[in-house]
Amino acid sequence: MTERNDENIQSQPEESAAETVAAAPESPRAEGAPTARPEGGPPRREGGFRQGGPRREGAPRRDAGPGGGPGGRRPRKQYFRKRKVCRFCVERIDYIDYKKADVLQSFVQDRGKVLPRRLTGTCSQHQRWLITAIKRARNIALLPFAQEL
Amino acid sequence: MDARTYDLIFICRPATPEEEVDKMIATLTHAAQEKGGTVEKVEKWGTRKLAYKVAKHREGIYVYLALHGTQGEMIHELERRLKVADVVIKYMTIRTDEELKRQRKLAGKRERRAARRPRKQAPPPAADQTAAEMGAAD
Repeated sequence: MTERNDENIQSQPEESAAETVAAAPESPRAEGAPTARPEGGPPRREGGFRQGGPRREGAPRRDAGPGGGPGGRRPRKQYFRKRKVCRFCVERIDYIDYKKADVLQSFVQDRGKVLPRRLTGTCSQHQRWLITAIKRARNIALLPFAQEL
Repeated sequence: MDARTYDLIFICRPATPEEEVDKMIATLTHAAQEKGGTVEKVEKWGTRKLAYKVAKHREGIYVYLALHGTQGEMIHELERRLKVADVVIKYMTIRTDEELKRQRKLAGKRERRAARRPRKQAPPPAADQTAAEMGAAD
């Protein structure tokens, strides 16, 4: 069991690791930031905002203004979001086959557009392979370029 | 020059009789052999719906060939034959050896890492911590 977990972490992209690391220091700060942190305070907080702000929010970049106010709200919001993992990393796929149109179908919209990583959780490496596969499948009429409705 | 592998897919008109398709496959196999290549695999996928209209057809007979060759001329010749064949409405050739090589490399890497793991398992406390967090997040 532990072995599996370990493996997962190693095989995953840096992005997910960074996210867990970023999440770690933020949760204690929510309660205990203003207590006692004389020298370590300012730089840490800055880092936290940079990582926690635009990156985690996803699509809307500027919903909350800068300041200490939303700092309390943000960490709580994280717990509700289910962390997405790359489906290809989980299944340890090294080659995305363009011939498996049914697999590729789940990564395109109804009209044939490729779904962004933001929505599918695919890692950057696999997204690149996936796009190649989708383009090949389109070329041989397994997937649509644009579906007429 | 290194040996190369290719995927070749072509689509025939839906009304094409079975023998015509077989004849086409035989022609291509022969042409490939003439140019010093071999056909490793032939798969007839049968009639499938096309994702978009091709030559006014909504479906087509898919045939997949896996090729092995050493000269690019073989592909030129095969594509020329596919282009002039009346029954074929679409075709595509893809070079696959580089991707297969990459796949083997990654698989080998992973195996080696898996073999090395038991020794490494005890020391990393940081990895355990992140693992626990991942569990909590899920």
